[in-house]
Amino acid sequence: MKEVMEEAVLLFLLLVIYTPDAQGTRYSPPGKPELTRCRSPEKETFTCWWKPGSDGGLPTTHALYYRKENSDTIYECSDYHTAGENSCFFNKNDTSIWVNYNITVVASNALGSTFSDPVDIDVVYIVKPNPPEKVTVTVMELKEWPFLRVSWEPPHKADTRSGWITLIYELRVKLEGDDEWEMHLAGQQKLFNIFSLRSGGTYHVQVRCKPDHGFWSEWSSTSHIEIPDYLHREKSMWILIAVFSAFIFLILTWSLHMSSHRSLKHCILPPVPGPKIKGFDKQLLKNGKSEDLLRVLVVSDFPPTTPSNYEDMLVEYLEVYVPQEQEVLLEESKDLHDSCLKFEGSTSDNDSGRVSCDSHTLLMDKCGEAKEEGRQTDQEDSTTEAEAQGQQKDWDQDTLMYANGDILSPEKSSGRVKTWPSVFSPLPQYTLSLPDQTSSLEMAKQHCYSDSLFCPGSTSSYLTHLGNNDNETLGPGSWEICLSNRQPYSHIPQMQTCQQVRSHSDVNISTIARKQEPAGLPLPFFRPTAYVEVQRFDEEDMVVLQSIVSDHGFHEGFPQMLQQEDYSKVKGVDSNNMLLLQTEAMKEDGDGTTPHKPTAHIHTVVSTQDEMAQPASGYVDTATIFTLPTY
Amino acid sequence: MRKMVSMRVGAAPLCAYGQAGCQVPTLAEIFDRVIQQSSRMHGISSDLHSEFEQYFFPSKNLIGTERKCHTYAILTPGDKENAQRVGREQLTGVILKLLEAWGDPLSQFYQSMSQGQNQDFNYYSSEKALEISDMVHELRDGVEKMADKMKLLGVLGNTVGYISPETLVPSSAFSYYKRGYLNSVDHHDLLYCFRRDSNKVRNYLRILKCTTLPGLDC
Repeated sequence: MKEVMEEAVLLFLLLVIYTPDAQGTRYSPPGKPELTRCRSPEKETFTCWWKPGSDGGLPTTHALYYRKENSDTIYECSDYHTAGENSCFFNKNDTSIWVNYNITVVASNALGSTFSDPVDIDVVYIVKPNPPEKVTVTVMELKEWPFLRVSWEPPHKADTRSGWITLIYELRVKLEGDDEWEMHLAGQQKLFNIFSLRSGGTYHVQVRCKPDHGFWSEWSSTSHIEIPDYLHREKSMWILIAVFSAFIFLILTWSLHMSSHRSLKHCILPPVPGPKIKGFDKQLLKNGKSEDLLRVLVVSDFPPTTPSNYEDMLVEYLEVYVPQEQEVLLEESKDLHDSCLKFEGSTSDNDSGRVSCDSHTLLMDKCGEAKEEGRQTDQEDSTTEAEAQGQQKDWDQDTLMYANGDILSPEKSSGRVKTWPSVFSPLPQYTLSLPDQTSSLEMAKQHCYSDSLFCPGSTSSYLTHLGNNDNETLGPGSWEICLSNRQPYSHIPQMQTCQQVRSHSDVNISTIARKQEPAGLPLPFFRPTAYVEVQRFDEEDMVVLQSIVSDHGFHEGFPQMLQQEDYSKVKGVDSNNMLLLQTEAMKEDGDGTTPHKPTAHIHTVVSTQDEMAQPASGYVDTATIFTLPTY
Repeated sequence: MRKMVSMRVGAAPLCAYGQAGCQVPTLAEIFDRVIQQSSRMHGISSDLHSEFEQYFFPSKNLIGTERKCHTYAILTPGDKENAQRVGREQLTGVILKLLEAWGDPLSQFYQSMSQGQNQDFNYYSSEKALEISDMVHELRDGVEKMADKMKLLGVLGNTVGYISPETLVPSSAFSYYKRGYLNSVDHHDLLYCFRRDSNKVRNYLRILKCTTLPGLDC
């Protein structure tokens, strides 16, 4: 009877349990739990969390079991509470680094148990530290401009002191109200400065850290800092505004002032000098006869390979002034042997060759001349002295002499002829001397202030030793004039043709500078050496030069015009700084030679002869413009 | 992703005896160099390991369950207390043993990779293999110099010497990682082991540095 009763009860119970009732409850073994993550804050302990599956309607318990690497022992988690619910905390004793843990979670209820999937972890790769602590933000003032200094400490659990953990830090900043943070990686340092702050704003700062191989910590709690207002910043803005308005005011005043003058336009837009082309006739152009026009311009034998166009190629710069007494050239030559460049040293620098680079006349350094001039100071006539002084005053004015094939012949018997071939002539104080080639070049280079093409290195005239020349066999009173090739567009220095000027005994020659080709430089063009002889000085202190047949036999092609014509008179200077010469002797109009600032145009002739220079100085300029072959 | 803390390393040759023409580095400099080198080595090995995991879908990682790394016999401190308790001499000795043990297997690893046994393999991976193979030798030399310097300064006892780990390490370390009936080497296990050992080396070096020269970096 009792057994029947027990069986009935069991059956009843089973029915109760297993018969689905009206509400649909079902009891089942627990669902599969899942290990979500394991983390270690300091690489000494770690915690694992899991997510339980369904509990099957029955109270379910979970257990965590683990196995260490290469060991068959299964351990159960000893601490389920420290880290909260559904967690297992491994303390220091249970934690081994560099050891593989195989962890499983089991969920069990009355009906059964379910194992989770096992997870393998190595503690060293699951480190996620706590956020940095004691984050302090202060405003530092550095020379009126504030900046933020953020400092912090590593989380107290992470042992960085012993080197067990290495942390790197990162911080982020933003203005209150902004959406985007500005990130800064701080490396291993625990201090960071932030610049470029906005005055008066409030900033939010946060810091976080990470071990070298691990996870970033959470951001630290926000630190707020307010930047105080800085008056000086606004002050500087006002200063800026004041300066700007003053500047505008100045401009307005200036433009008002200038507008009342005609020369405003000239001030802002100076007129561009036009080209001077030899043979160019405006009338022809206006007439529209381009053929005529162009025919005139055409230079035969282009590019010049033979000396046939000698006259077109050579430029001779002559400055002639007539000294009172005659000097023996040889004496001067000896003086010039100790060649030196005396710029300031030349006391009475009667040398009138003031040329600038623009006008591509080259001035020879006259060392001996200075001495010689010193000797002659008392003896020179008023004109020459005045001339020299006058020239000395206008040192920056160019005295340019173009001597074409048509070379003037000095006429004044007592005139001293100073010739210098086209040389870079920077300084006014040049005394005609025989400088060292290199030194003259150097000096020329130093002083060549124009941007013209005739500056050293770009053009072609160089000074050489006269003393070293083998052509010392110059008789007394003879000198050499070196003609420079005016090749404005050619950067190859040309050999200078040197002309020996033989002066008569009554002609005082001051200096000679003879140009040779610069050492080591190529000589693409070979210029013949022509010699010009000073024929006479006429009463008006004009030097008439005559070409002579040179020893070198380079006279082919030398223009015969030299012997026949003498452009020894300066007619005047026109507005374009052109010295106009004419053949008939005419008193040079002093007014005509107003000093002009040399222009940088290659074809421009500048004459800076003032009235003092007057008749003696036959600043010959082939104002007849000529074209240089351009390459 | 390998994050590296870059440090400036001078190009002067490392000469401990003050030969003419080279600066004698300080112990701090030597420490910095070896730590940086070990960081880099660990980073590359991590990259290689994750590449292997991506491309080769490895079978269940046998390390930790059925297999061991070939350096299993080299006893290494497993937590912070042990590492600090062990002392500098032993720690240095452990580092040297580990580095010595990996020289050969890594060279063979590189050779097997460059010989095209793994045709699908990335060119850059074989470059990395060469790199870690070289680095292991360089680092070993560097740690020796560091030990010499420390002995010179008196911070290290003389018990540290070159101990050949041959007794501790299987003779053919590379073939130790062979598995399967095909007797093919599973590079995945090798890289797993090397990644771990390079991490140990780096950590021990840092502990050495911070206990010998406590400073700003620690």
